[in-house]
Amino acid sequence: MSTLATHRPASDAAPAAPVQPGPAPSGPNAGNDSTKTGTTAVGRLRRSASLAGSWVWKSAAVILFLALWEFGPTYLASASTRVFLPPLHEVLAAGAELLRTGQLQNHLLASITRSAAGFGIAVVLGVSLGLVIAWYRPLHSFLNPLLELFRNTAALALLPVFTLLLGIGEESKITIVAYAAFFPVLLNTVAGVRTVDPLLVRAAKSLGLNSFSLFQKVILPSAVPTIFTGIRMGGTASILVLIAAEMVGAKAGLGYLIINAQSSFLIPQMYAGILAVSLLGLAVNTALVAAERHFSRWRVAITA
Amino acid sequence: MTAKISLEHVHQEFSVRPARGARNGPAPSTLVALDNLSLDVAAGEFLTLVGPSGSGKTTLLDLLAGLTRPTSGRVLVDGREVTGPGKDRAVVFQQYALFPWRTASTNVSIGLEGSGLSRRQRAAKAREYLELVGLGGFEDRYPHELSGGMKQRVAIARSLAYEPDILLMDEPFAALDAQTREQLQDELLRIWRATGKTIIFITHGIDEAVYLGQRVAVLSSRPGRLKAIVDVDLGDRSADADVRSSAAFVSHRHQVWSLLHDEVQRAQDAGHRKILPDGTAPDEQPLPERSAA
Repeated sequence: MSTLATHRPASDAAPAAPVQPGPAPSGPNAGNDSTKTGTTAVGRLRRSASLAGSWVWKSAAVILFLALWEFGPTYLASASTRVFLPPLHEVLAAGAELLRTGQLQNHLLASITRSAAGFGIAVVLGVSLGLVIAWYRPLHSFLNPLLELFRNTAALALLPVFTLLLGIGEESKITIVAYAAFFPVLLNTVAGVRTVDPLLVRAAKSLGLNSFSLFQKVILPSAVPTIFTGIRMGGTASILVLIAAEMVGAKAGLGYLIINAQSSFLIPQMYAGILAVSLLGLAVNTALVAAERHFSRWRVAITA
Repeated sequence: MTAKISLEHVHQEFSVRPARGARNGPAPSTLVALDNLSLDVAAGEFLTLVGPSGSGKTTLLDLLAGLTRPTSGRVLVDGREVTGPGKDRAVVFQQYALFPWRTASTNVSIGLEGSGLSRRQRAAKAREYLELVGLGGFEDRYPHELSGGMKQRVAIARSLAYEPDILLMDEPFAALDAQTREQLQDELLRIWRATGKTIIFITHGIDEAVYLGQRVAVLSSRPGRLKAIVDVDLGDRSADADVRSSAAFVSHRHQVWSLLHDEVQRAQDAGHRKILPDGTAPDEQPLPERSAA
């Protein structure tokens, strides 16, 4: 480009030499084109190289951690520690055995059913109540202190209460999951509705929208990304609390698997259960992030 | 001839809460934004409105749009009093106010929803108006994919789409760069001629006011009163000639400038600032005796 730019004024300034403008542009032009294709090919290579490099870099920490897990217990730890910290391949073997006998699937299914039920209740209640609270200002100022109190009460502290009231069956576990996931959803819904750009509300009013269409067409869509952030936080909370609840009193579920394996001294199985929990959490979070992204496509930062 | 829009002794007061953290307590003071303002605008007229900061330009526009009601006096459109927003008037805001989750096309057609048109008819109408503002082919873009000038074109198309008689524009080009602004000014004049809308256009720019308006209304510093109306005649504007350097333009410009100059000075001395929509005026000096005067 720079050769072209410097060349043009020169040919303009010398109209007396008609020979020069003829070949001159084709010369640097051709050269320019070849260098351009050259740079793009190199650029593409470099870009894919840097992409691969960044992929390696991003997974390096995980790979290093897994390597440490595999070799650390064998070569670094004392024999007694090795019993409580089996290398990765033993854990994976235990996991495969659990898969083969179908135990892992059963526990996973039990956990997923509970957290899905509790999480679903939390989303439905949290979003609808959040919309109502945000819409009626007096209700917000009335309920907010109470909500703050509940929100700051750790869900697990209430587990004994739920167990006393609802027994040790599914109801108490689903309830505590719903409780834990409810507040992030509720509070983000309220925040999302209340932080709508007042200019957009003005514009919508000037367009003649009534209260209902204002809510449906302006306030709700603009709150959706914030609501989804709450839903994602609720999803994370629901798994966290569920595992703990299953550890305390349950006959199935990943939490039960972990605690039961520990007390039966099946240490590799215990780690397999933990691994399953992290993978489940990762999967849930990825799914919710994808959903959040889908519903927030119009936001600047998210579309690439 | 009856006026399309008429303001009859419009008076607008706000009770201003001092900005949070202000020393002198929460005692609200009254602030007169518009004082006994009367103005008639003919059908199909292009009126521009200039005034120093805090002269109540936006207040006036909100009254015309029906977003607020005057403390006293009447705002009439087609002889009927304005009681709320209506499909006969459209507002174009300075910050575009596009709905970011809607595409250009559905932004334009939002005012048509619930009017009995099918989705396809609405899309066709949106395309028609996007083409009118020079944005054909951009129907499916989201606002964040458009430049400032393009956003404002979409906003103009949106206000035209439900076919109001009156276009109320609140410094619509103030956030744009000079080149885009001039381009959009010419586009707006073209659209005005093509559609015959009545336009009230608020601006800070004297050049813009003189260039666009058939009449320029000059407001005084707070409390806003109508100081003068300048009739603008720039002769034949169909030619490609540079209107802005013509003798007529320069003399009109100077006339408006002189009217405005004292007022701007006065407004600055009094420290007048914008009143925010929630009724606070963060920089406002509490001068109760002034508003009583």
